[in-house]
Amino acid sequence: MRKVINQITLQQTLEEQGWTQSKLAEKVGVSAQSVTNWMQGEGFPRPATLLKLATLLRLSFEQLVQTEEKDQPVVAFRKKGNAKTTDAHISKTSEIGMLLKPLVPYLPEMQALRTLITSPSTEYGKLQTAVSQTRVRLGVGDHAVLRYEQLIGEFADCGAILIPVLWGHKGNHENAMHIRLPAEDVTFIFVNLDTRVEDFKFWMAHELAHVFTPDLAGTTEGEDYADAFAGSLLFPRACAESAYAEASRKQSANGEIDALLHHAHEHSISLNTVYQRVKDFTAFAKLPALSVDDRAIHMVRNSIPGPLVSEALFDPMPPSPQQFIANAENNFHSTFFQAIKQMIQDKGTEAGYLQQILDLSIGDAQALHEEFTH
Amino acid sequence: MTLVLLDTNAYLRLAKRVRPMLGVKFGQKEYVLTILKITENEVHRNPRLRHNYPWLDNPEHIEERLAKQVRLKKDEKEILNITKGIFRQHVLENAANYKTPPSPADCYILAFGQVRPAIVVTDDLSMHQLADEFDLEKSVWHGHELLHKMLSGKYIDKQLVVEIYEALEINGDLPKNWREVRHTTFKKVFGPKKN
Repeated sequence: MRKVINQITLQQTLEEQGWTQSKLAEKVGVSAQSVTNWMQGEGFPRPATLLKLATLLRLSFEQLVQTEEKDQPVVAFRKKGNAKTTDAHISKTSEIGMLLKPLVPYLPEMQALRTLITSPSTEYGKLQTAVSQTRVRLGVGDHAVLRYEQLIGEFADCGAILIPVLWGHKGNHENAMHIRLPAEDVTFIFVNLDTRVEDFKFWMAHELAHVFTPDLAGTTEGEDYADAFAGSLLFPRACAESAYAEASRKQSANGEIDALLHHAHEHSISLNTVYQRVKDFTAFAKLPALSVDDRAIHMVRNSIPGPLVSEALFDPMPPSPQQFIANAENNFHSTFFQAIKQMIQDKGTEAGYLQQILDLSIGDAQALHEEFTH
Repeated sequence: MTLVLLDTNAYLRLAKRVRPMLGVKFGQKEYVLTILKITENEVHRNPRLRHNYPWLDNPEHIEERLAKQVRLKKDEKEILNITKGIFRQHVLENAANYKTPPSPADCYILAFGQVRPAIVVTDDLSMHQLADEFDLEKSVWHGHELLHKMLSGKYIDKQLVVEIYEALEINGDLPKNWREVRHTTFKKVFGPKKN
């Protein structure tokens, strides 16, 4: 990792303190030439010297040191409702990204030839073209139900590693977490299996959109595109048109909801996904909107809590570490745990590493670690 | 007075049998043991620890932990955050070199030791490695080093050292380096190593 002392910050701080470079050198216990070198972007202090420098000048690492952007993980969260992504969330996820770097050499060789959406746009026609071409790649017709298993191969083909996790049923963005390491050209996607079945496919498709648009990862634009792509991929124009035709024949809002629910169940997606795609279609085709509104859709949706993916996959819950790893490898084609196993065997990596990268309790991390070492 | 900070494992290994433990001066350098609020939080909120160490919930232990915590001034907190950030960034950049990269809480404890200053007691070898990398090896002790200081400071007796070793061994919690010093550092307690 290439690092240099932030010359502008250092110069400004010295001026504020009224110190010369020689005085700084004396206080930190280095030669004047060392300080001169730092000021010219050459050389970098040893850890102990950097610590002295930072505490003496009251500057944080981020203020004192400049690192190359490509060395920093890029993180993206899926927005959910009004969930806010705080600096603490981003910082914690970015740290996980840094901790994942030592694992990269243990991953299988990544596919160099990848699918990219070169000009991502949420404009209806362009979006439909992108999802239609994606469906063709997947071998799925415009009306056909898309299964999440059909998406899994696309992740590996695009240099993305799926990491299933059991993080509990949280009502926030931690249902999915996307960490891209630009320098290593690898993306890690954490997928929380403690999520409703009807939502699961949506954010798998959402994450796939991030993988197809790496330059947008970590931006609001990227999140908006991923949401639009996911909904349209799961329920494209042809499906929305059929659902609209059926719902618009109903005499009441309840009748419309029943018609939309029928499509949602058929595709194993949420009522809201179907409704939003129908809304987009009617706006694009300049057709009269349905009488049902967002509020009614959310009320219905929240009144029917569906089962969790984890409950469907592991019965009874919780799974043993062995079951969990087998599921990750067989159902999600994840190479993550195999890489972890090799790293543990090669370097003697301990449970504390698993605890930090998977955000586990130490008890769960130890159980998982034992599975790799017994 | 020399402040000595215990991390969670160091506290768990000693606090059941060394009574009272926190806030008491011992030895020529007047060592005083303490734990931080984050350690108390970890102990208090972790059901697994409370299940495995039921004595943690004894009123005597709870009161001692709460009464003997150290509070920092605003200025010290600023330095603490800077120091913690430098440690953590170093860990993240060099994660491949650690078997367990020191966690944010580990970095906090180590940083606290620098701000106060205090000696940090931990059996986590990665924390010792991190301290070494910042030339702070003298500021961090292994648990057995503290035990030896308590013995030589006549704060505990040989019998208690034996009891602590036996209890850790029975619980499968005797660290490798404690085992290694049994017949060297604690030769007067356990005697020379038998071939």
